[in-house]
Amino acid sequence: MAREVIGNGNELAAEAAIDAGAMFFSGYPITPSSEVMHVASDLLPEVGGKFIQMEDEIAGIAAALGASMTGVKSFTATSGPGISLKAEQIGLGFIAEVPLVIINVMRGGPSTGLPTRVSQADIGQAQYPTHGDYASITLCAGSLSECYTETVRGFNLAEKYMTPVFVLLDETIGHMHGKAVLPDLEEVKANIVNRATFDGPIDEYKPYKVPMNKPAVINKMFQGYRHHVTGLHHGDEGFPTEDAVQCEFNIERLVGKINTVAKENDGLDDLPDYEEYMLEDAEVCLIAYGSIGLGAYEAVQKLRAEGIKAGMFRPIMLWPSPAKRIAEIGAKFKDKIFITELNMGQYTKEIERIIKRDDFTTLFKANGRPIAPAEMVAKVKEMM
Amino acid sequence: MRNTIRFTGVGGQGVLLAGEIMAACKIKEGGEGLKTATYTSQVRGGATVVDITLDDGTIRYPYANEGEIDFMLSVANVSYHQFKNGVKPGGTIVVDPNLVQPTDEDRKKWVIYEIPIITIAKEEVGNVITQSVVALAITNTMTGVLPKQSLIDTMLSKVPAKVHAANQKAYELGEKYAKEAMA
Repeated sequence: MAREVIGNGNELAAEAAIDAGAMFFSGYPITPSSEVMHVASDLLPEVGGKFIQMEDEIAGIAAALGASMTGVKSFTATSGPGISLKAEQIGLGFIAEVPLVIINVMRGGPSTGLPTRVSQADIGQAQYPTHGDYASITLCAGSLSECYTETVRGFNLAEKYMTPVFVLLDETIGHMHGKAVLPDLEEVKANIVNRATFDGPIDEYKPYKVPMNKPAVINKMFQGYRHHVTGLHHGDEGFPTEDAVQCEFNIERLVGKINTVAKENDGLDDLPDYEEYMLEDAEVCLIAYGSIGLGAYEAVQKLRAEGIKAGMFRPIMLWPSPAKRIAEIGAKFKDKIFITELNMGQYTKEIERIIKRDDFTTLFKANGRPIAPAEMVAKVKEMM
Repeated sequence: MRNTIRFTGVGGQGVLLAGEIMAACKIKEGGEGLKTATYTSQVRGGATVVDITLDDGTIRYPYANEGEIDFMLSVANVSYHQFKNGVKPGGTIVVDPNLVQPTDEDRKKWVIYEIPIITIAKEEVGNVITQSVVALAITNTMTGVLPKQSLIDTMLSKVPAKVHAANQKAYELGEKYAKEAMA
């Protein structure tokens, strides 16, 4: 049975992590994400898990990666400046293929920026958080319920694709306090994905010897199976190599296991990568995500009340983007597309890339304040 | 039916909790309630605004729309002046007169009541922390948005047992002063 709970987005994300099977959290407190830590510190000991507040952001992710390497589902939470500090370790997660959920509750930047204020300025950072070539999985919660469901999904995707996964909240979603309807706990538990394991002879264990576009198959530690973990390019057993053919294969596989698979299968799982609202008969399409999507719902309602047939498209899986659907929207709405985000147009660039035009109407804000439905309505009216 | 309520103060005054109590009570009553808070990076003393949206139907956008707020309560001058314009013309504002000084213009635009919220909490209840419950009682008495007993029960479920009596008293006093102000 679906559950009705009261809380804020950060609390719900932490609860989701525990329900998804997380048994380890390490991190360092930072506004506006700290409540994720607070709740993790309450709940993890109750389920036999471990919580540790580390000495800084870098140690916060290093310990979580280490825990995950042993086979324990792990997560950390931070805000933009923390991701900047964690950047090198995130790269280790990509190349060594370590599943990890990283919750980023976005605040204004760059640097320490606007600590208590809302922003969506880490969209580009989530796509390319560290140097080198790889593909990122990034989910963006657009409601209190999604703070829960997308965090659960993040754990399942991390295990399925053996990679760090970003779950983006923004300050508004993270701190807003109200009712959320959550899926049945048994249903959540029944759909948990655990990383694949190799159960053949120990001397045949080669975790990175996998076909193109497939994730590594890495066993839990302390079971007798041995492999080497490194940030260097590596061969089948994880030992460093500079072999040109191997290195090329490694990078093509790291990118392909996410991007090619998403393209071929129209997504990385069976869950919705976007939400549409009143789009069917619409003559103008509002595109927004995260907390800005909440304002866009009301803008659509206000516009409809004034006789303008508006609809909304809200991406949930930001990276890899729901490109096929965005292209269809581009073909249908042409220049009657309005994009609004709390940054200077970071996701607009992706939409422009997919649709191959740059004449959309936009409303960007980067001063730490939300975008009110009335502001969206005024802008959409200008274009009609 | 949508009600939007705004509490403004400075960090550390407990206005956040009052907002959560109202939202939780509305949800308990079968509706929807959302609380958002905007605050500064100062630990204490920064302007804080809490928006509470209560609705029988779905709420998406969690902030109050500027110019549509029905009721505002303020216990700090800096935040009063910064956020007062969210209140709709003819809307109700309650201020603590020892801390907030509305202009003559303001008094023409809105119905402004002066209730010494902090003094009531400090001297009559005997615990300054109960100011948020005094504020809660004034808000609900003036707006009538939530059933009194349900709100008190929700409030008591969110404060430690050892201060139940003080908070109960704070609620009754807030209600009394609100009724007197409106009389």
